[in-house]
Order: sequence, then structure tokens, then C-alpha cells
Amino acid sequence: MAAGLRAVGRWGLTAAAPSLAFTRSAFVVNKPNNAQPNWMGVGLAFGTSAALWAFLIKQHNDDVMEYERRKQERGHKCTGCS
Amino acid sequence: MAFLPDESRSLPPPPLLNKGSVWLGFVGWLSALADNAFNQRPVLRAGVHRQILLASLGYFVGYHLLKRTEYVHAKVDREMFEYVRHHPLDFQTATG
Repeated sequence: MAAGLRAVGRWGLTAAAPSLAFTRSAFVVNKPNNAQPNWMGVGLAFGTSAALWAFLIKQHNDDVMEYERRKQERGHKCTGCS
Repeated sequence: MAFLPDESRSLPPPPLLNKGSVWLGFVGWLSALADNAFNQRPVLRAGVHRQILLASLGYFVGYHLLKRTEYVHAKVDREMFEYVRHHPLDFQTATG
């Protein structure tokens, strides 16, 4: 909201708000430092992304195998439908 | 009902590149960009790890939501065709 207000202040419509990070929580004492990389956060984010992709690809392959297996089991002969 | 009942596995699964995943992945990426904007960081260049994480999360959720969507549509279709089969008199063509 502060950033939005400041943008509106630039347009000269309202007074600018004091400098505050947008997502300030009562539990955080320090201002977030965006200049230095938060390496643990970066590592966790990349690790989680890799895990998500691996799980998704595995899930998809399992789904395809299960579908093909059930299709074989049914022994459905006509080619008109699936 | 469970999120994905067992009989949903008899349906062909959506391809890895599918509309649910692409859309929700895009939404996840946009929300990372919005987070950058609200915290006064460079919108595209900052927090690439965050953009990748949220896009991947959206992609993942999109795939599973699409599977459930296709299951619900297939179930409703099956019920409709069963109804039509059981009530032929109501569905005769004009000439019949």
C-alpha cells in the first residue's frame, strides 16, 4: 500500500506515505536487506522447485503407465472411442 | 469425495504441457512479479529464485487441478449418457 501511495504521490494526487517496506510484519525486527542474497532462501527455493518438477514428472509418468495398464486390462477392441 | 478417486486413473492423463499448468504457472510467476513490485524491487530481475518457485508451484497445482476437472467432466458425461440410454423415448429424433 505504501508503494502504491508513493506512486500516486508521484502523480501529484495525494501526499506520499513514509518509507515502509510493503510486507512489514510485526514479527520481523530488521528491515529486509535486498542488497545481499539470502543464500539459504535461494537454495531452498531452487531445491523445492527441483523437487516439485521431479515429483510432477514422476507423477505424470506413473499416470500414463497406470492408464495404459488399465486399458490393456479392459481389452477394449473398438477404435471409435477411447 | 477424494480429490482424485481411483477411477480417475482410468482416464488418459493430461499431457505435461497443458492449459491448467500453463495458466497457473503464469499466475504464480505474475504473483512473484507483483511481490517484487510491492516491495520496490526491480520487477523482472529480482528474486528469480522466487519467480521460478512460484511458477513451478503453479505448474504443479495446475496439473492436478486439471486432472480433477477432467475426471468431474467425464463423470458427468457418463451419467448423462447413462440417462439418455435409459430414457430412449425422451431422446428420439423428430423422424423416429
